[in-house]
Amino acid sequence: MLLGEIFELVQLLFVVGFTVFLANCVDYDVLFANKFVNHTDSSKVTLPDAILPMDVCSAHIRENTFVIFLLIISGVFWLHRLVKFLYNVCCYWEIRSFYINALKMTMSELPYVTWQEVQARIIEIQKEHQICIHKKELTELDIYHRILRFKNYMVAMVNKSLLPVRFRLPALGDSVFYTRGLKYNFELIFFWGPGSLFENEWSLKPEYKRGGNRLELADRLASRILWIGIANLLLCPVILVWQILYAFFSYTEVIKREPGSLGARCWSLYGRCYLRHFNELDHELMSRLSKGYKAASKYMNCFLSPLLTVVAKNVAFFAGSLLAVLIALTIYDEDVLAVEHVLSSITLLGVCITVCRSFIPDKHMVFCPEQLLRVILAHIHYMPDHWQGNAHRYETRDQFSQLFQYKAVFILEELLSPVVTPIILIFCLRRKSLEIIDFFRNFTVEVVGVGDTCSFAQMDVRQHGHPAWMSEGKTEASIYQQAEDGKTELSLMHFAITNPHWQPPRETTHFISQLKERVHREAAGASSDTHPLSLSESEPRSLVANILAGPSTLASVHFACDSSLTNSGVPEMPGGAAALRSLSPISGSLQLRGSLSAAHRASGFTGRTMTGSGTDARTVSSGSSAWEGQLTSLVLSEYASTEMSIHALYMHELHKQQSRGDLSRHTWHRQESDESSDSIPDEVRSEPNARSRHVPRSHTFPTTLTSPGAGSASAASGQSSSQRRHSGPAADPFGAGAAKVVRTPLVPMGGWAEEGKASSRHQEPLQEETSEDELPPHTQKVIIIIIIIKVWQKSAVSFFFKLCCLFDAFVLFLSRFRLHKPYEEVLSQSTHPHPSPYLHFGSSSSSPRRENRSVPQGLSELL
Amino acid sequence: MNCRSEVLEVTVEARQVEEAMLALLHTILLHRSTGKFHYKKEGTYSIGTVGTQDIDCDFIDFTFVRVSSEELDRVIRKAVSEFKDALSSDGMGQISLEFYQKKKSRWPFSDECIPWEVWSIKVNMVNLANEQERQICREKVGEKLGDKVINVVEVINRHEYLPKMPTQSEVDNVFDTSLKDVQPYLYKITYQITDSLGTSVSTTMRRLIKDTLAL
Repeated sequence: MLLGEIFELVQLLFVVGFTVFLANCVDYDVLFANKFVNHTDSSKVTLPDAILPMDVCSAHIRENTFVIFLLIISGVFWLHRLVKFLYNVCCYWEIRSFYINALKMTMSELPYVTWQEVQARIIEIQKEHQICIHKKELTELDIYHRILRFKNYMVAMVNKSLLPVRFRLPALGDSVFYTRGLKYNFELIFFWGPGSLFENEWSLKPEYKRGGNRLELADRLASRILWIGIANLLLCPVILVWQILYAFFSYTEVIKREPGSLGARCWSLYGRCYLRHFNELDHELMSRLSKGYKAASKYMNCFLSPLLTVVAKNVAFFAGSLLAVLIALTIYDEDVLAVEHVLSSITLLGVCITVCRSFIPDKHMVFCPEQLLRVILAHIHYMPDHWQGNAHRYETRDQFSQLFQYKAVFILEELLSPVVTPIILIFCLRRKSLEIIDFFRNFTVEVVGVGDTCSFAQMDVRQHGHPAWMSEGKTEASIYQQAEDGKTELSLMHFAITNPHWQPPRETTHFISQLKERVHREAAGASSDTHPLSLSESEPRSLVANILAGPSTLASVHFACDSSLTNSGVPEMPGGAAALRSLSPISGSLQLRGSLSAAHRASGFTGRTMTGSGTDARTVSSGSSAWEGQLTSLVLSEYASTEMSIHALYMHELHKQQSRGDLSRHTWHRQESDESSDSIPDEVRSEPNARSRHVPRSHTFPTTLTSPGAGSASAASGQSSSQRRHSGPAADPFGAGAAKVVRTPLVPMGGWAEEGKASSRHQEPLQEETSEDELPPHTQKVIIIIIIIKVWQKSAVSFFFKLCCLFDAFVLFLSRFRLHKPYEEVLSQSTHPHPSPYLHFGSSSSSPRRENRSVPQGLSELL
Repeated sequence: MNCRSEVLEVTVEARQVEEAMLALLHTILLHRSTGKFHYKKEGTYSIGTVGTQDIDCDFIDFTFVRVSSEELDRVIRKAVSEFKDALSSDGMGQISLEFYQKKKSRWPFSDECIPWEVWSIKVNMVNLANEQERQICREKVGEKLGDKVINVVEVINRHEYLPKMPTQSEVDNVFDTSLKDVQPYLYKITYQITDSLGTSVSTTMRRLIKDTLAL
């Protein structure tokens, strides 16, 4: 970490210095050979020739005031970073001594220690040293709260869609814009900037906790946001230049090396916020998302448009033929390379083909988005309701791509961010200041020994549970207080599973145990004859012990998840039976690991999994009871993710059942609870009935927000068009000067912006025609084969191109200085150690063959 | 975050301020002081005695007990009179007594003070019209202060965190050893007239330096 920061500083210096150097000190005429340099000894142009002498260079710089200005700014910036670095060094030193002295962990063993162990140590030493003076014992939740105080707020704000990150743009439609710069500004405004809502790192300022002068506070916040927005606007050119330079230096090399990386995807910043549980540490989130990465990119690849494919195929064909001719010519006589632009065109054609290739889907790919989405869900745990059964729709894909964007888009957004951030701050965030004030007031609780935390992060089902997510009857939350997407419930399960020693409050314990019991019961009930082991399960350890089946476990759970889908393809299943049925394969595979007899029963899966885990299954059957005690924290945390996947799937399934079964009751229930809510003072309800009809079953993707109520309300506030464009999902149309505050309480405040009426009309029939495209279980095998083949193909092809490009780059680099030399010179050079293209192509073409041999072995092993 | 805070609130007349504050501060300090440590050899020490004395107030019907240490009294009297002078212009104020531990750090940085208990006394000043009211006030304030003292004792009697008894070399980090006859926990007295808004400049600057423009 320390080293990283040192390099960051050096990098910064380098970027600035190198840019100035490139701009001022290089004689490009020499480099491009427009001007000849006279040397007596040899007529080679060398690099030093192209560099201007020192005095000329400094004169250049001194003349140019803009450069000096830039240099000064970057100097200030660098000094600031240096101070920060020094400060960090002190912090790291403190942390280090804490680890060594208090936690008794030496630096050498630290890389091999898991977070669970560290946490256990901290709890241990609290008993001895009383680090926190208010309590005798620390709980895991306290530690998490302290670490993740602000992140929890951010997650909650994204969950309640308070932050203006979703926009409806005229041309692009629904889009999300959330960059690092924007995030930084949000944090600056809310948490630690001058005059922020927080007094210090742990407590909200007292005046924000009182409801009395909320309007005045909102005004103050609004003006602060305005100022910060203006500051951003002023600094915009500087940041922009910096972003461009930084992106250029860090990404051009990557793009040259593997152009496909731009076509690769990554989890967007918004996705990370949306998918994050409350109280989930960075490393937990990252590992979860990384596990889902493969399935997610496969899912996105399902949706390549046929038009683009045809175009890409043809472009690739033409480019390929040109490239082939050029390469053939080069192989025949390498003098071809000396012709101007041949090398660059070879490089460009190679890049072009690689890009095209990413648009051509695999021939053997099967379109099975529903299954893939289910696998993704097992890892990411969150998904808006209306995705279910709509996985093949383009809307779903588009929305998913907001969570899982192209790397190129990510870079582009980062580049745009300095320009867009002030606009968002000034025009969007400022209008939300009252809501923000209300949010912080309503959802901040003071926990003794921890300070002010976000009340959502308490994961109290009673306060923030959502009736559609299994906490029905337990929750007392009004619609404003409910976390969307079952965030409270899922977070609670996640936390309870990752921290099995945590002692939650009584009601919460009840909820957890009830849910676990249900999962286990249905898992057990699905098989015809239940094994005694699975009946006695009551705590997570035993389930984990059941899953423990050596290295193949995770993979087999994937398969189980896949196949769970195939079974739930029977949509006519009444009531909860479908949920139960969809989980039965999971339970089947659990049983399989639990005992050998169960393994015989689940013969549908044995063919695949037993080869991998046959011996493991035997050991498990003999020793699963003994394992329960021996589970180390490490093993537990690793298998906890698997268990969480099962729980997440189960909860989503149940949620689907519930929201389908009694939609009307929920609507009514929500309305009722909202009438009784007094959390929002001053609210003027406009046509609650008209809107309540429109409460969609998905509470996070409200599809019908342009309902007549919202429309008329916004018309009343007198700034309809701009308002609607900029206002977030909640579509709150209260202008800055509007005397009365129009709230739209019945419209769920959650996540995603409206889609317009058209798509909402679509939604109704779609729910019924779900899951038609799912496959019978035996296709599983085929899919696996396809995947393997595809992976192999990709790796071979990309390896080939990588070599090509590398070679290109190398030759290009050499030829830059040689191309324009006399002909004879080049000829004489070519006999020298100058690398011959034959050699390179020989080696590169041999490589796929080598891989070819190894793949069948891998295949046979896997099948 | 990691410290207890107790708030006491009193409403007094202008001339009673000094005595009321002294009464409360001394009461707290009485319970947060020990006798001087006399170190013998290797980790053994004997604790000196602490004398107490009763003080009668002039403007309040009240008597309180304080540590009979002139030095301590002088220090506190000074702080309180400063507070009183500052207060005379305004009707509201707050004086706080903060117990802290010191953490030694390396040369370029000053020692870090980690508070573990903060007592804040909020003062409301009232102006009384005539002598009769003053008389009533005199009695009432006396009663109130009695309640507060019991309150303080209750809080202190709770079995809560106190810094560990230090070794000889670290005694300065926990106790104030500058006084000759008594040894209270390290404390500091600060006051504040009307609650000022906004974070203090220093913390903001620190945050800014720590975390600016991490783009």
